[in-house]
Amino acid sequence: MCETRVEHSEEIGNRFVRRLGSVAIIIHKQVSKLILEDFNLFTKDIYEDLDLSNVTYVGKKRKQQLCLDCGDVKDLWVDKYKPRCLAELAVHKKKVGEVNTWLEERFRMSKVNSCNNVLVLTGPAGVGKSATVHVVVSHIGAELCEWQTPTPTLWQEYNYNANSGISYISKLDEFETFVEKIRKYPSISSSSRECSKKNIVMLIDDLPVTNGRAADGRLRHCLHSLVISSQCPTVILITESSKTQSGEELLLLLEKAGASKLAFNPITANSIKKTLVRICREEMCSVTPEWIDHIAKGSGGDIRHAITALQYLCLRPNLLVSLPLSIPISCSSKGEPGVVTSVQSFEGLDEKFFSLSMGRDETLSLFHALGKFLHNKRDTEQPADLGQGYFQLQEMFMRYPLKMDAPEKILSQAYAEASSVADFLHENVLDFISDEAVDDAVTIASYLSDSDCLSATLTIRGSSGSSSILSRHDSKNVSQQVAASVAVRGVLFGNSHPLPSRWHSIRSPKLWQIKQLSFIKKNEILSKWCEAQCCFSICGFSVMTTEYQYALQLLGSKVSSLSAHTQNSQIYKPEQQDIRMGEQPDWMATDESTTQVGTSSIRQASIYDLDIHISGESEEDEIEEW
Amino acid sequence: MLWVDKYRPKTLDQIAVHDDIAENLKKLVSEHDCPHLLFYGPSGSGKKTLIMALLREMFGSAAEKVKIENKTWKIETGTRKIELELTTLSSTHHVELNPSDAGFQDRYIVQEIIKEMAKSRPIDVNGNKSYKVLVLNEVDKLSKEAQHSLRRTMEKYSASCRLILCCNSASRVIEAVRSRCLNIRINAPTNEQIVGVLRHIAKKEHLELPIGLATRIAVQSNRNLRRAILSFEACRVQQYPFTENQVVQTMDWEQYVAEIVSDIVNEQSPKRLYSVRLKIYELLVNCIPPEVILKKLVSELMKKLDSELKHEVSHWAAYYEHRMRLGQKSIFHIEGLNTCSFVNFISKALANCNFSPPSN
Repeated sequence: MCETRVEHSEEIGNRFVRRLGSVAIIIHKQVSKLILEDFNLFTKDIYEDLDLSNVTYVGKKRKQQLCLDCGDVKDLWVDKYKPRCLAELAVHKKKVGEVNTWLEERFRMSKVNSCNNVLVLTGPAGVGKSATVHVVVSHIGAELCEWQTPTPTLWQEYNYNANSGISYISKLDEFETFVEKIRKYPSISSSSRECSKKNIVMLIDDLPVTNGRAADGRLRHCLHSLVISSQCPTVILITESSKTQSGEELLLLLEKAGASKLAFNPITANSIKKTLVRICREEMCSVTPEWIDHIAKGSGGDIRHAITALQYLCLRPNLLVSLPLSIPISCSSKGEPGVVTSVQSFEGLDEKFFSLSMGRDETLSLFHALGKFLHNKRDTEQPADLGQGYFQLQEMFMRYPLKMDAPEKILSQAYAEASSVADFLHENVLDFISDEAVDDAVTIASYLSDSDCLSATLTIRGSSGSSSILSRHDSKNVSQQVAASVAVRGVLFGNSHPLPSRWHSIRSPKLWQIKQLSFIKKNEILSKWCEAQCCFSICGFSVMTTEYQYALQLLGSKVSSLSAHTQNSQIYKPEQQDIRMGEQPDWMATDESTTQVGTSSIRQASIYDLDIHISGESEEDEIEEW
Repeated sequence: MLWVDKYRPKTLDQIAVHDDIAENLKKLVSEHDCPHLLFYGPSGSGKKTLIMALLREMFGSAAEKVKIENKTWKIETGTRKIELELTTLSSTHHVELNPSDAGFQDRYIVQEIIKEMAKSRPIDVNGNKSYKVLVLNEVDKLSKEAQHSLRRTMEKYSASCRLILCCNSASRVIEAVRSRCLNIRINAPTNEQIVGVLRHIAKKEHLELPIGLATRIAVQSNRNLRRAILSFEACRVQQYPFTENQVVQTMDWEQYVAEIVSDIVNEQSPKRLYSVRLKIYELLVNCIPPEVILKKLVSELMKKLDSELKHEVSHWAAYYEHRMRLGQKSIFHIEGLNTCSFVNFISKALANCNFSPPSN
C-alpha cells in the first residue's frame, strides 16, 4: 500500500520519506551506541538496506541527504563504474568496432537504403552487450531510445488497477504496440524536440517472455515486421542463456529476415582484471592482485558478476587484512580461523572457498561433458608413485590416468541423466574410435548394454510400487547414477586407441527419433487394422508387422485390377508412405543442432533443448506404458 | 477378404492340418465342461484357428458374432490410479485380448478382466450356470508378476470362467500356470501339409497351381502356414497363370536383414558398424520387433559362418537376447551382437591370411 501511495501522491510521499529518514537516523544512532566497531559490517548492511529503500521510495535528492547522514554508503559499483567512454569498455575492441561501424553505416546510408536496419547482439549474461551499445551510441553522438521491459504485474497491483479502472495490458501487447509505433513513426523523441535532428538508435534489451504457440507466433510476426520495416537502426539484445528452443528459432527468423547478427564472447580474464584494478584504484581499497586474479577467473567472463564480487570482497576488511601480499592463498586461507570453519578442510580448499563465496557456480554443459568423455584425453605416462593400495593389473587392463576429474563428478556438474548420457555416448562414440579398433567397439558395446540393463531393471522395480515413494526415488537415483557411471567409464576404458582430437560434431541420439517414429507407425498400423476389423481376429502385433504388412503391400498395388477384391478394397489400401529415416516430423527439425565439442566454445543452450527432449521422451514413455 | 481368413476352417470338422487334435478337442468339449487350455507352438501353425473353431464348437455360431472395442480400465491400486487401454474382441460367450500390450502393467489387466468377467456370470437357456471363456494371447510375453497373478485369479474364479491361453513358447510360461492347464502342443505343419492346403485353396479359387511352385512357397514359408497362404496370394496377384519357376517374394524386412548381414561380412570397422546401426534403426521404425530382428540376424549369420565360429556367435546371441529382455534399449544389445560377429569375422580373416589353423 505504501508504495502505491508514494507513487500517486507526491506530498504524502515526501512526508512519508521524511519520516522514514528520521527513523533511519534513529536506528543508526541506536545501533552505533550499541554496537562496537567489530560489527562494522553489520551496520553497513543496515545502511545499505536503508539506502535501498530510499532508492525505491524517494529518488535521488532524498538519497543524497541520507547518504550524508549515514556516512560512506555507496552505490552499487556495477552502476557506479558503468563504462562511459570507449576506453573503459572491457569488451574486445574488435567487437566494439564492429558495432560502431554498423551504426555509422546505418546513418550514412539511411537515406539511401532503408532495409537491414536491425542488429542482433547475442552473448551470455554480463558480457557488456548493453553497455557497448550505450557507449557506442553516445560516442557517435546519436540518441538512444530504449524499450524498457515493463515489470511484471503483481496480483495485488492488478487488483488495484482493476479497481481504479486501468485495464490490464499484457506485456506482449505492450511490446507489440511499441513495435507498431516505431515502425510507423520513426522519430519518437517527443520529449526532446530540440535534438530531433539527432540520429536515433532503438535498443530493445529484453524480448518479452512468451508462452505457448499463439504468443510465440505473435512475437515472431511482430519481430519479423520490425526487421523488415524498421526505419531507424534498431539493436536487439538476446541473452544467450535464455535461448531455449523458441529463442533459437527467433534468432534464425531474425537472421532470415535480414538482420545482422553479432555474437559476444565472454570477456577475457585479463580485461576483467584491468577493470577491477581500475575500480580498486578509484575506490582506494587495497585488494591484492591474487584476489583480483581469482575473481576474474572465477567470474567466467561475466564482468557484472566480477565487479559485484569485488565490492562484496571489499565489504569484508578483515579478510583483506589477513591476506598478506606475499603468501600464497592456499596457506593463508587455512590460517584464517573464520574461513576454515565455514569450509571443511578440503584439498582444494582455496578453490572451493572462492567458488562458494564469489565465483560463479561451475557447471558444464552436457555437450562439454560428452566431449570430455568421447575425446578421452589421457596422460602419456603412468604416474611414478602409485600409492600403497596399488596392485599390478594385467597389461590389457592398464590405461593411462585420465586428464580430467572423476567421470562421476563431471556427470554431476553437467546434471546429466543416465539414460540420455548413454544414448548420446552410444550415438557418437563410433566416430571417436580408430578404424582398426573393432575390439574397442566390442568392449564399449558390452558396457553400454550393461548400463542399459542397470538403468532399466530399477525402473521396473520402482514401478511395481511396493516401496514407499521416498525409498523408491532413492533407489532409482542410485541405480541411475550407477548406470551412467558404467556407461561413461565403459566408454573411457573401452576406447583404448582414441583418435587424435580433431573437430567432431555431436549428434543428438537417433534413438529418440526412432522411438517416436515407430510409435507413430504403430498407431498408424493399428488404426488401419481397426478400420478393417471385420476380417481379422486379433493377432499379435509382431505378426502384423512381420507378415501381413508386406503381403498387403504386395497385394495392395494391384488390388484394383482384381474384381474379387474390390468389395473389400479398404483393407488393401496401399501403404500411404513409409516413414523413412530421412523425413522428420517438424518437432525433430530443430534438435539436429550439431554442436561443436572441443575445448573452445560450447553452446550452453543445447542443454535446454535436451531438457525439452527428455520431458518429451518421458511423456512418450507414459503413453507406451499404457 | 484375404485368403488367409477366407479359407480359415470355421469348425473343428473342417480342420485339415491338425485333424487329430481337433478330434480330441471335440470329445473334450462334448462333455460340456473343459479344463483351462494352453495352446503352444510356433507362429503360423494354427493355434488361433483351432481356438476359434473350439469356441464355435462350445457355443455355436454365437461365438462368431464378435465386436472389437477399445476398452479402458480404471484400476485403483493402493496408492495410485492407473488407466489402461486395450483392444478386446468379445462375443457374448468369450473375450479375447492381448494382455502383453499393456506393457509392464499387464498384471492389472489380467486381474481386472477376470474379476469383471466373474461378476457377470452368464446363464444358459436351461437356466443352468454356464461359464465364459477368456482367450489370452501371447501369454509368454507377460511379465512374471502378471503370470503369478494369473495363476491366483485362475484358481479363485475357475468356477465361472475358463481360460484359453495361447503362446509361442511354453518355456516362458511359469510352471504353476502350465500345470493348471491342459497343454496342447500345435506343431508347425509339414511342407506336405502346406502344399495340401495350398492346392485346396487353388482348387476353390479355380487356379492352376504347379506342384513345383507350391513346394517352393511351402519351403520358403518356413513351415508357417499363414505366411505360405499370404505369399501364395501375393504370387497370384503378381503373375497368373503361374509358372513353375516363378519368383516367390520373401518378406522385405528379411531381405533387409540379409543385406545387413552381407554388410557385416564384407567389412568390419566402426564406420560400418554405424551404417549397420542405421539400417537396424530403419527396421525398428517399421515396427519389426527387436527380438525378431535379432533372431533373423543370427540365422542369416549362421549361413555365412565357419562351423568353429558358429558356436561363439550363437553364444553371444543368446547372451544379448537375454540382455534385451532385461533392458529397454534394444539397439544397444543388437549392436553388442553385431560387434561380436565383427570380431569373429576379423579373427577368421586373420586366420586365413596366416594360413595357420584358426585358434580359439
